Amino acid sequence: MPPPGQTQLPDWDGLKLRVRTLIASHRVMIFSKSYCPYCNKVKELFRSMRVEYYALELDVTADGPSIQQVLAELTNQRTVPNVFVNGTHIGGCDSTYQAYHDGVLQKLLGDSKDAEPYDYDLIIIGGGSGGLACSKEAAALGKKVMVLDYVVPTPLGTSWGLGGTCVNVGCIPKKLMHQAALLGQALQDSRKYGWQYEEQVKHNWEIMVEAIQNYIGSLNWGYRVSLREKSVTYLNSYGEFIEPHKIKATNRKGQVTYHTAETFVLATGERPRYPGIPGDKEYCITSDDLFSLPYCPGKTLVVGASYVALECAGFLAGLGLDVTVMVRSILLRGFDQEMAEKVGAHMETHGVKFIRKFVPVDQVEEGMPGRLKVTAKSTEGPEIFEGEYNTVLIAIGRDACTRNIGLETIGVKINEKNGKVPVNDEEQTNVPYVYAIGDILEGKLELTPVAIQAGRLLARRLYGGSSTKCDYINVPTTVFTPLEYGSCGFTEERAIEEYGKQNLEVYHSLFWPLEWTVPGRDNNTCYAKIICSKHDNNRVIGFHVLGPNAGEVTQGFAAAIKCGLTKELLDETIGIHPTCAEVFTTMDITKSSGQDISQRGC
Amino acid sequence: MGWEEKQVRGYPEFVQTAQSYHGRPIFALFCGDKDAEGRSWCPDCVTAEPVVRKELPNMPDGSVFIYCLVGDRAYWKDPNNEFRKNLKLTGVPTLLKYGTPQKLVEEECFKPELVRMLFTED
Repeated sequence: MPPPGQTQLPDWDGLKLRVRTLIASHRVMIFSKSYCPYCNKVKELFRSMRVEYYALELDVTADGPSIQQVLAELTNQRTVPNVFVNGTHIGGCDSTYQAYHDGVLQKLLGDSKDAEPYDYDLIIIGGGSGGLACSKEAAALGKKVMVLDYVVPTPLGTSWGLGGTCVNVGCIPKKLMHQAALLGQALQDSRKYGWQYEEQVKHNWEIMVEAIQNYIGSLNWGYRVSLREKSVTYLNSYGEFIEPHKIKATNRKGQVTYHTAETFVLATGERPRYPGIPGDKEYCITSDDLFSLPYCPGKTLVVGASYVALECAGFLAGLGLDVTVMVRSILLRGFDQEMAEKVGAHMETHGVKFIRKFVPVDQVEEGMPGRLKVTAKSTEGPEIFEGEYNTVLIAIGRDACTRNIGLETIGVKINEKNGKVPVNDEEQTNVPYVYAIGDILEGKLELTPVAIQAGRLLARRLYGGSSTKCDYINVPTTVFTPLEYGSCGFTEERAIEEYGKQNLEVYHSLFWPLEWTVPGRDNNTCYAKIICSKHDNNRVIGFHVLGPNAGEVTQGFAAAIKCGLTKELLDETIGIHPTCAEVFTTMDITKSSGQDISQRGC
Repeated sequence: MGWEEKQVRGYPEFVQTAQSYHGRPIFALFCGDKDAEGRSWCPDCVTAEPVVRKELPNMPDGSVFIYCLVGDRAYWKDPNNEFRKNLKLTGVPTLLKYGTPQKLVEEECFKPELVRMLFTED
């Protein structure tokens, strides 16, 4: 390499010849620089396609800069990577990926050697909210699709049918049991409204579970019919990658089949995490077991403070059971903490016991017949707690099902700590023909509607010529604890972090649902809060409501927030009377004013 | 052992027959009554019956197939008839696996692959 600074006229004709020869003599020719991340991306693409390429690293080649000049003249492209396939100029990283997506790349590589047709256009591993939505959309666009769904039984042997967590052991049975508990409360209120009946009202767990499981069964069946009608192939088998573009499927009888596809979507979801203490798998249950438990759980210890823990503790208490929640530190991590504490306080007022700052250690072992003995240690000192319960429900978090599906064999990167899959804004993993949706995504919300939306839009982008990406901003959620909590947008903590306290105005109000007045239920408990950005027209960036039907209330406001709701627009909206939601149209008191928000009259 | 067929008419006869086969897989096809020429007042039932019958050999061994005529058109249209109230039927023809939430309704019964799926899956 000529020493820097020394002028030496390049031999342009010689260089042009060299460049042309390189392009002509390699199936895939990549002009690259060793430190360039886009060059690496492109090389990864070809590696994942098992296509050999030749890369010339211009940063460590004699005449590197001159070659770059030649390429610029040849292709009008100054940058690297500069990619040629079978003599045809493709372009840089973006163009190469685009060509891959459009199938143009594959056509150019076309020399029959490696081009065996795949069995399917799309194979989806996981038949839950995301997987099913994606499969149906892809099939509707005319593609040949396969869905694999397999439930590894819980340590206690519980299993379930097609549909994923939401349908079988999540949202659906949860909301139904929550409703069962609410009805119990309504029965109590009913006497105040004049209903008279002699019998004491009791709850029968088995009748409730049978009815709920029957409904879930009809949903499982409905999905089977739906997939069949849309010609989506469904396998009740465990799928694992064994080589690029190929999976091995094992059904519960151990029979193995193999299948290939052009594109794959990972939608394997999560399962509850166990704490790893002696006795946890033998004696404890999780939400996977709770919704089909054939006997009433009785006196229950719920370990955890996630929404799963609090929702379950909430409805179990509402059904009349003796419930204790063991919390290591805070409630509802990730949610607005002021709201989280209010949720917890309401549960406590209504009989749920909380043991805070303790973790179960040592044995969960059999105590008296039908009872479990739990030993717990304080996180702050030497105190020990011991208790006996009929049931211990572990709800300390969920882990992604990405460890045992052969992702290593095809090079899909996962976050080693939590198993989650990092993807770009098109849900694509680091391996271009593998995508991921739903709860397993790194840094994305674990919600059914998010997975469904992502799955549908992904199918439309892959096969329908769409470019719409999934919008993860301002996704509304609701926690279905006995006092429901709905929210959309920023928590107060995050808003302060992002905008600075002085740039925010927080309006808040307590409210008393009209329906609660007659039976004399808690006043000054339901709470509404909006966070506004002062320098953006008092735009509503955070919405929080604690009260009955919080989900129904929040849904509409989420749409308003998407339209750019401001405090002024909210004030101009006339409320519906008498409702709980109308409180948002007349919020005057700010946190900064320090004024009292307790309610007195109408 | 193969499978056997029972033909019944009306709700009480259906329930009695189903109960007598308790413990065996029971599949039931509900259709509108047939006239003297053997034709049902329900045109969809006329279409569905041969499709279902063709798939019967796919039922598991020991199954019972109950062919049930529900009644005349007027009876069926009554929203409080026993089939609607107790068995939660919403239309005829309905093909179901008794004691499970698995069923096919109306046009779903025209599709052989759906009928086969009902008979063979668990």
